[in-house]
Amino acid sequence: MRFFLTILIIALVSAIGEMIFPWWIIGIVSLLAGMLAGLKPGKSFLAGFLAIGIFWLVAALCHDLPNDHILSQRMAILLFKKPTYPLFLLVIAIIGGLVGGLCSLTGAYIRGISK
Amino acid sequence: MRIFYAILLSALSFGLIFILDHPLGALPALGRLLDPINGCLANAEPTNIDFNQSIKLPTLQGATTVWLDEQMIPHIHASTEHDLYFVEGYLHASFRLWQIDMETRAAAGRVSEVIGDKTLAYDRKQRRKGMVYAAENSLKAMEANPETKLMMDAYTAGINYYISGLTYKDLPLEYKLMGFKPEPWTNLKIALLLKYMADDLTGATDDMAQTYLREILSPEQLKSWYPDKVEGSSSVIPAGTIFDKPSLSTPTHPADSLVFPHYLSSDFGEPKVEGKGSNNWVVSGSHTASGAPILCNDPHLGLNLPSIWYTCQLQAPGLNVFGVSLPGTPGIIIGFNDSLSWGCTNNYRDVKDFYEINPVKENPNKYWFNGGQVDFTKRVETIVVKGKPDVVDTVYYTLHGPLMYDQNYKSKDGLQRPLAMCWMGHKATNELLAISHMCKAQNYNQFVEAIMNFQCPAQNIAYADRAGNIAIWGQGQFVNKWKDQGKYVMEGFDSTTLWKELIPMHENPHVLNPAQGYLASANECVTDSTYPYWYNGGFTEIRAWRINQMLAGMNKATIKDMFAMQNDTHSLLAEKALPILLSNLNNVQDEYVEKLKNWNHNLTLETKEGTLFQIWWRMFYLDIWYRDKMRNIPDNAMPLPERTMQLLIAKNLPVPKKYQTPAGVESDLRNLITINYHRAVDSLKKLETNKSEEWYMAKNTTLSHLTKLPAFSFDHLKVGGWGNTINATKDNHGPSWRMVVQMGKEIEAYGVYPGGQSGNPGSKYYNDLLQSWVDGNYFKLNFLPNTEKQDDKNIRYTINFQKQ
Repeated sequence: MRFFLTILIIALVSAIGEMIFPWWIIGIVSLLAGMLAGLKPGKSFLAGFLAIGIFWLVAALCHDLPNDHILSQRMAILLFKKPTYPLFLLVIAIIGGLVGGLCSLTGAYIRGISK
Repeated sequence: MRIFYAILLSALSFGLIFILDHPLGALPALGRLLDPINGCLANAEPTNIDFNQSIKLPTLQGATTVWLDEQMIPHIHASTEHDLYFVEGYLHASFRLWQIDMETRAAAGRVSEVIGDKTLAYDRKQRRKGMVYAAENSLKAMEANPETKLMMDAYTAGINYYISGLTYKDLPLEYKLMGFKPEPWTNLKIALLLKYMADDLTGATDDMAQTYLREILSPEQLKSWYPDKVEGSSSVIPAGTIFDKPSLSTPTHPADSLVFPHYLSSDFGEPKVEGKGSNNWVVSGSHTASGAPILCNDPHLGLNLPSIWYTCQLQAPGLNVFGVSLPGTPGIIIGFNDSLSWGCTNNYRDVKDFYEINPVKENPNKYWFNGGQVDFTKRVETIVVKGKPDVVDTVYYTLHGPLMYDQNYKSKDGLQRPLAMCWMGHKATNELLAISHMCKAQNYNQFVEAIMNFQCPAQNIAYADRAGNIAIWGQGQFVNKWKDQGKYVMEGFDSTTLWKELIPMHENPHVLNPAQGYLASANECVTDSTYPYWYNGGFTEIRAWRINQMLAGMNKATIKDMFAMQNDTHSLLAEKALPILLSNLNNVQDEYVEKLKNWNHNLTLETKEGTLFQIWWRMFYLDIWYRDKMRNIPDNAMPLPERTMQLLIAKNLPVPKKYQTPAGVESDLRNLITINYHRAVDSLKKLETNKSEEWYMAKNTTLSHLTKLPAFSFDHLKVGGWGNTINATKDNHGPSWRMVVQMGKEIEAYGVYPGGQSGNPGSKYYNDLLQSWVDGNYFKLNFLPNTEKQDDKNIRYTINFQKQ
């Protein structure tokens, strides 16, 4: 339960944070959430990874679908030389997820110090 | 241990974020770019985006409305000119900000600032050419005139208003990819953009190559291979037109030995970008089906995205004009208003000359002139280079102009003799005033007065009005030159060689309502030899021949006929040269010969015969001219293809030694033609194995994004034509705008350009006009009446600007 709650909170707070701050706010939110949530390291990583991964994927789809993939196809050609836009969206989710996961994991370890 | 992990992980997290927030080599900062909220996906414009909006502005003088139609063409209705140009600037910035930023950087030699040292040589060349110096000179003239000052101030304010509201999220995609931000717009940037066009259209030079050719060729060869006017030129101003008596007498030609330096070694020209050209023509009402005159124009420029043009309609009291604007400058460049229409092609009279300068040996700050020592004016150019220290280059200015080449900046092949450049573009000209007055002109006389301010780049301006007049002007500011002045590099040691009087612009070649009932220009020679002033230039004839041939046979021309003409791919070069090439083949009997014999000489998109002819002609042409010492000159300083064709017809082509046989000249020519035929067929066979033998595949017309990124570009466009056809679509340049306007009681206008109104690669409007251009189709231009309310059914969105 706490695991899912952590995911929800990281995703929501990051979404609000990105309205004001640059993209790296997702790292700070995940770190703080990792410190406060008290999850085991593995779960903490997974929570951060899923929270940001899903948040970024959903946000990307919100732009991509109404755009009929025009931009994501061109970005896919730019990055992978092929118009495989799902891959482009996946890369976004994974990179966001990695930042979220790593920061959340760090948060869990920092919490551990004080114990 | 936990502390260790905590520290390690903190470092890793911080490191990952740091790396993703910074550019890595050529890669942009990936975290920023991929962030789906503010990054590149923020530029993914919804395909059903609603442009309706209301904008409140404190700087507006009244209410201004923009109606966007189906092609996203804005129709701006303003109550004052200030508001009109403010909103035009605002719209240019909204749709093309990165493009105008890059183009003005390219003009000023400031590309390295955002790209790095890859473009350093380019930037340095721009500084050496004195591009900013040119823009500063014109800016003074433009700001001294209250009318153009108002235009520029309002336009600049409009762009800056748009820029001031931008956050990272709103930046055009290219800024995010390249990692820089827009800087405030200035009036100087408007001047820079106009000079960028002037340089593009009049900047090419063959003076150095000609100087060298003069040394290595006999006078007879020079005259035969490089005639000042190609035989049979169908000049812009039809032969037989009576010119006014000149107010100036032609200066006497000083002895060649006194004015032209001798160059004996190697190639030292700046290779000229070949094939820029354009077509325009007007047909009088007596030759059209409707009885109203028709004006057509297709200026040929680099095929780029975002498109060089942005179509719009401008309305203010006393002003209602429609056409293409040049983002980065206010007004309409080519178009029509409620009374008249105009179109431009490049005039190509030479307005850029080179002078050899004699620096004082003992004092590097001075040079010799008229027997005395004169100080160089120094301009220190600091080129900011991304990721590297600044590069400083001092450019020395003489009374002729900047020293383009000297010991610190050699021309391509190491020429070290200091050469100063004298260019009309350096002068304080105010083309914006011409543009403003052309947009407002209501009749022929007003239009003529307007173009008296159009000095550089010189243009052949075709004109048609609703009163039934047609006209053409070879317009620009020219110098009263002695014969051959500026054709070759000149010695700049005394006042003999200086540019002296300017030719009064009213005396420029022009013609109104000629008996033939039509007028055309396609970069051919401007006049016949009866024009009283001497000039030279880089003229080409083939397209003009074809246009004149087609127009001469038209009595009831329709708009559709004009569409067909602009898309005509018939090659006169092939029609005339191919039968001769074929008749000179030595014992060749293969399928290709048969196909060529039956070919209709149209360079259609799928023709294979056309591909073979083009390759064969090219090989043959290079084989003829890349000979002996002529190898040292750039490709485009070779004799013209049309001259080569004439020499072929006259059996007067110089056959290189390697083909010479004891059997005589005719046999030599057969040898040359046959050997190149076999080489061409081999090339075609190679193309066939790659399935790229069809003409459009072989030539690969590409519409390239300014970054050259293939992801934002479109290649292998299915279009026919080449430089030797009216539809002059080459690999990277071609018709940048096709317009046909019938100036009847109701103005009926059509236009299309390759690309789209939006510069955003994430918008469906980025390339939505492209397919129509490729297919040779047109959009009807919705010319709206000058009223506050509109009920045109093609209006899709309305933007209301209100005074706050």
